[in-house]
Amino acid sequence: MAESVIIERRLKMAVTKIEIEKLAKLARLRFSDEELEKFAGEFDEIIAFADTINQSVEGGTDEIRSVGSQLISFEELREDEVIPSLPNEKIVSNVEDKDGFFSVRRSKK
Amino acid sequence: MREMISELSAKLHSGEMSSVELTKEYIKAIEEANPRINAYVHTTFDYALEGAEIADKLLKQGNASALCGIPMALKDNICTDGLLTTCCSKILDGFKPYYDAAVWEKLKAQGAVLLGKANMDEFAMGSTSESSCYGAPLNPRNLDHVTGGSSGGSAAAVCANMAAYALGSDTGGSVRQPASFCGIVGLKPTYGAVSRYGLIAYGSSLDQIGPLTYSVKDAAVVFDAIKGVDRRDQTSKAFDYSSILKSLNQDIKGKRIGVAEEFFEGIDPDMKTQIYEGIKLFEKNGAEIVNIKLPALKLALPVYYIIACAEASSNLGRYDGIRYGYRTDSYDSIDDMIYKTRSKGFGDEVKRRIMLGTYVLSSGYYDAYYKKAIVIREEINREFNDIFEKCDVLIAPTAPNTAFSLNFKGASPVEMYLSDICTVPINIAGIPSISVPCGKDAKGLPIGMQIIGKKFDEATILNMAYFYEQNSEDKVGIYEGGVRI
Repeated sequence: MAESVIIERRLKMAVTKIEIEKLAKLARLRFSDEELEKFAGEFDEIIAFADTINQSVEGGTDEIRSVGSQLISFEELREDEVIPSLPNEKIVSNVEDKDGFFSVRRSKK
Repeated sequence: MREMISELSAKLHSGEMSSVELTKEYIKAIEEANPRINAYVHTTFDYALEGAEIADKLLKQGNASALCGIPMALKDNICTDGLLTTCCSKILDGFKPYYDAAVWEKLKAQGAVLLGKANMDEFAMGSTSESSCYGAPLNPRNLDHVTGGSSGGSAAAVCANMAAYALGSDTGGSVRQPASFCGIVGLKPTYGAVSRYGLIAYGSSLDQIGPLTYSVKDAAVVFDAIKGVDRRDQTSKAFDYSSILKSLNQDIKGKRIGVAEEFFEGIDPDMKTQIYEGIKLFEKNGAEIVNIKLPALKLALPVYYIIACAEASSNLGRYDGIRYGYRTDSYDSIDDMIYKTRSKGFGDEVKRRIMLGTYVLSSGYYDAYYKKAIVIREEINREFNDIFEKCDVLIAPTAPNTAFSLNFKGASPVEMYLSDICTVPINIAGIPSISVPCGKDAKGLPIGMQIIGKKFDEATILNMAYFYEQNSEDKVGIYEGGVRI
């Protein structure tokens, strides 16, 4: 999306409840109507804050160069090696397990 | 007088007192003060006393390390085998990891004694520690004020001498800002200097573990003990550090100190005066002041929140109630279970950040936010690289304000984000920075001075901080309470 379109969009409208519901679904979160109301207001302010990066960069999104982060160098990767994994009984120690498997209750569907 | 780690260590090494005796003193101090201050959310006293017995044996054998037998605290997001580690979130209720974080593995091997896990903002997301599911820790300097965050419990435990030192994690200032609010020292090492293995992830390209200590020398001792490459953290680096403790000599002659006006915009006038007084002290003693510009600094905040939240939305995807932690009681399908578990398990701030992260990574917005933030991050890195051609360190405030009052309801989420302006650029660039006490404001609350350095040049920033600590007259003063030997 071009930079101007985003800024225009921000000026014209708030993030709608429908958009927030879509995002919540992607994030596997559910909000009650009351929560959604409060959240929509806050989220608008947060997106406007995130948008400040768009107002300040010359060139806009279309001219963004594709660069990788210098923080991680892919030239320094270590060799793969086989090492022992954690024992199964430890892995399932935080939940009620069934024969060493994670278990959830049977559900209708 | 409050004893430093080296002094406690001398007593343990000479046999003047045992680690078990010292540990019992700390336990007593925690039992007395923690109900008021809420620095610890899980205490591990039996484990501590077992550790102290092992330490005493190591001490008797000789050749024990400087940290052997010294009682300390870990932030509640650092994994400890078989001991509660909950990130102060309901979603990790009851979680006992099945392995030790690399830092705890190292410290334990050196005979460290773990008193407990320290309070924090839920998943390290916050600047006050008030989003902890266990309630906020209180600032020992003034109980009506917050400790700062997110490593607020670690800062409070060290400040109130309920631990000789503590480890925290710093994604956008979470070690330095609470250290500043509580009038202690906090070091954020270079990204890659300390293994993140076993640190519960928030923003993986920004997270770094660092010490909170009572003095600069203590910070050097702890950093010397936890640094180093680790094959289990691919971003850790094999940098050849020599002992930083041994290199501390207060020699600051000829050091070039960069001062960027951008860091001082909008900060409290009292603080500005104090920090500039500090800079003058360096100048009087032979350091050179270089005025520099950091035009990309204003972009650091949105860049930080976009990158940190994007990474958080991915990192926190694993909490589904299946393998550990909290799981909802009632559900009628596996999807329903995941939705309900996450919606009830995460607090408001965590949900806000997951939602922002999901938004900036979602189709149609990825280029405009996430990709652009990555590009600007490179630009900020370039600016810092250029600056470090001209100077050895940068000096700035640690935060634009001193400790907020408790339940500071006036601020919206974004207003709280803005208070991270002085610390987040350092995480974006992956460089090291230390916060050292620098006097008090009119209300008597501690101010923090931040000394920022080049990658893997912890030695210089610690030495500058050591000089300031030893020569400044702006003492914050010793907290009256806690362990006295």
